[in-house]
Amino acid sequence: MPQRTIDFGKYGARGVKGSEAVARKLDELAGGITTPVTARRGLMARLHYLTRTAHARKAAYDAGLTVTDRTLKAWLDGRRSPSKANLERVERAYRSVRRQNVARHLLRRLNSSGGTRVEIHPLNQSQVPRPLQRVVEYRTMNVRRWDRIVAAWAAGDARELDDAWTDTIVDLGSQWGQYEYVTNIGFAA
Amino acid sequence: MGDFDAIDSLLAAVGPEAALPTPEVRRELREQARLSKAQVARALGVSPSTVAGWEGTRDPSGEIRTRYAYLLDGLAAKFQAEAEPELDPEPEPEKADTGVAPEPGQDGSGEGDDVESLAVPEPCVLCGRPAGSRVAGFAQHLDPADCRAVTQAVSQAVPQAVPRAVTRTVPRPVAAPTSKAAAAPARRAFQTPSGPVDLIGEAVRAALAENEGDVDAATAALLKRAIPDAMRLLDETRKGARYDIVAHPWIPDILRKQTSRGADQIWEARPKWTRRQLPPGTHEVTALDINGAYLSALKTHLPLGQLEHSAGLAHDRRRAGVHLITPPAWEHEDVLPNPIGRRDEPGPLWVTEPTLRLLLRLSGPKHGLCERPVVHESYTSGATENLLEKFRVALKDARDAAIAAGDEVTLEYVKAMYSKFVSTMGESNYNRELYRPDWMHIIRSQAFANLWMKALKAHDEGLTVVRAMGTDELHVIGDWRRVFAEGRGVTEVKVKDAYAADAGTGEEE
Repeated sequence: MPQRTIDFGKYGARGVKGSEAVARKLDELAGGITTPVTARRGLMARLHYLTRTAHARKAAYDAGLTVTDRTLKAWLDGRRSPSKANLERVERAYRSVRRQNVARHLLRRLNSSGGTRVEIHPLNQSQVPRPLQRVVEYRTMNVRRWDRIVAAWAAGDARELDDAWTDTIVDLGSQWGQYEYVTNIGFAA
Repeated sequence: MGDFDAIDSLLAAVGPEAALPTPEVRRELREQARLSKAQVARALGVSPSTVAGWEGTRDPSGEIRTRYAYLLDGLAAKFQAEAEPELDPEPEPEKADTGVAPEPGQDGSGEGDDVESLAVPEPCVLCGRPAGSRVAGFAQHLDPADCRAVTQAVSQAVPQAVPRAVTRTVPRPVAAPTSKAAAAPARRAFQTPSGPVDLIGEAVRAALAENEGDVDAATAALLKRAIPDAMRLLDETRKGARYDIVAHPWIPDILRKQTSRGADQIWEARPKWTRRQLPPGTHEVTALDINGAYLSALKTHLPLGQLEHSAGLAHDRRRAGVHLITPPAWEHEDVLPNPIGRRDEPGPLWVTEPTLRLLLRLSGPKHGLCERPVVHESYTSGATENLLEKFRVALKDARDAAIAAGDEVTLEYVKAMYSKFVSTMGESNYNRELYRPDWMHIIRSQAFANLWMKALKAHDEGLTVVRAMGTDELHVIGDWRRVFAEGRGVTEVKVKDAYAADAGTGEEE
């Protein structure tokens, strides 16, 4: 696409990809266990969440927690504790299972009553040389259909999420390329 | 002879100038008619600033003067005609038309109104229903109430359109208004303040109806929905406003909670002060309670957009936000609380706009109570005091009305609305529509600063301030009734408690 930024930050602009900000916001809305996985309390809470039902166990397995039931039981009983690599796997599995579980409810809330109003806060140009600075305004838009965005987010597919989000911000008009990178994206659900 | 014609017309033009009322009266007449300067200017073919000039110091001349005089005469006659036959206590704008266009049989048609009654009703030009009279060739209802019966949209146009039709009846027609112009929305000037529809009253009535008059159940139901209702009221009051509410800006780290239950780095300057040493003797201390402290604190300088960092700049009155300051030393701890509250640690701290403004004010020449605070860095954005003003006024009016009517349900509901609105506007999961921890801190600090100023006022008026606590508690010795009004309004105070204290302890006994 002609409007995609080729070399972001070349002149000192700062920001994150819009889709990344969206994923961050969706994670924030999804909530979850805030104690870090490195603490025993956090680990136990995650393991309980991932092993509560056979369905959850299956989802955890699919999400990359491919340890045996015996190991899981040993972790839960406190006889053994996971290695650093496995802690990471637990955390990743928890995130992705949590996303899948929440996605349905989140999607319903985002799509309800005509969509959700999204605030787009433009990138930070304070470090850009004055002659190269451009007027990029704060914009808001209403996003009616969130299905693609939420599905990509729940699947953890960053590229698909980026495509879905770019297709959405095209509605901003011919200036949409200026909003590919942003400081923040805000919406409520 | 053409030459003589020109001279004749010139001679005809020279004559006694039309008499005009005084500029104040001109203005009053126009405002009474709810016409804007632009409307008058358009009718006379001059610019609005010229009309403003005529209402100030200048006078029109020539043919324009005659026309202006004609307009003012017409308006004056109209209001006279309205005042005489009608004893209606509330003069609605529509009533003016019945005054000018009376029934055909009546006298008073000497103003050139050609009102004819129709034997066969024709469709009214305004509402389309059969009308029995015709004004200046346009069949229409004389009483706007008859036009009302049609759809909302049409009846909205009635007060606009009827006066237009009447102006057509004057013998010297002004620039003929098109029907499009007649449908134009009312001008800015003298628009009735379009207050939010009575959301609060409606919610209360609905809740009472739903719970069949059970006050406790209705109150509980209303408290449960106070936050979404407050957000809806906020949306309603921001309709057509100049600034958007930016609800999810980027937030600097100092405003983020460090842990899920922890606090951020902002110091709100909550007063918690008790006088160390009372004057000798036993005193009657009165504990005063400031009504609706958070409601009043909604009027404060709120940053509109995303906070931007700056360092080493002087304080800008048009911006607001949070500031890293080194507070000045406070020498008056014996008689007045420290304006930055009870701070145990020394050194720089992040304070909000109201605290900084309070310190700057106290360090100014009028008070001279402390040194100027040193501002090291700031996160600020362009600010306005009016962002929540309509919201605040709507709540205040509902509160006042509820107090006057003894309506405890509404009172509780309003209280829950503003207090929960303030406490959940930050990073709360109970209100996800608004993520403004900066506003939350600023509004709280404003409440504390307001309390501090009340303490200063009491001190300046010769009362002995004993204690300043939290948002709304002020303990004083002396005749406080000559300083503060007693009551339940937001500008008044109420007595919470009265107790005796003596110099030995300085604490309540």
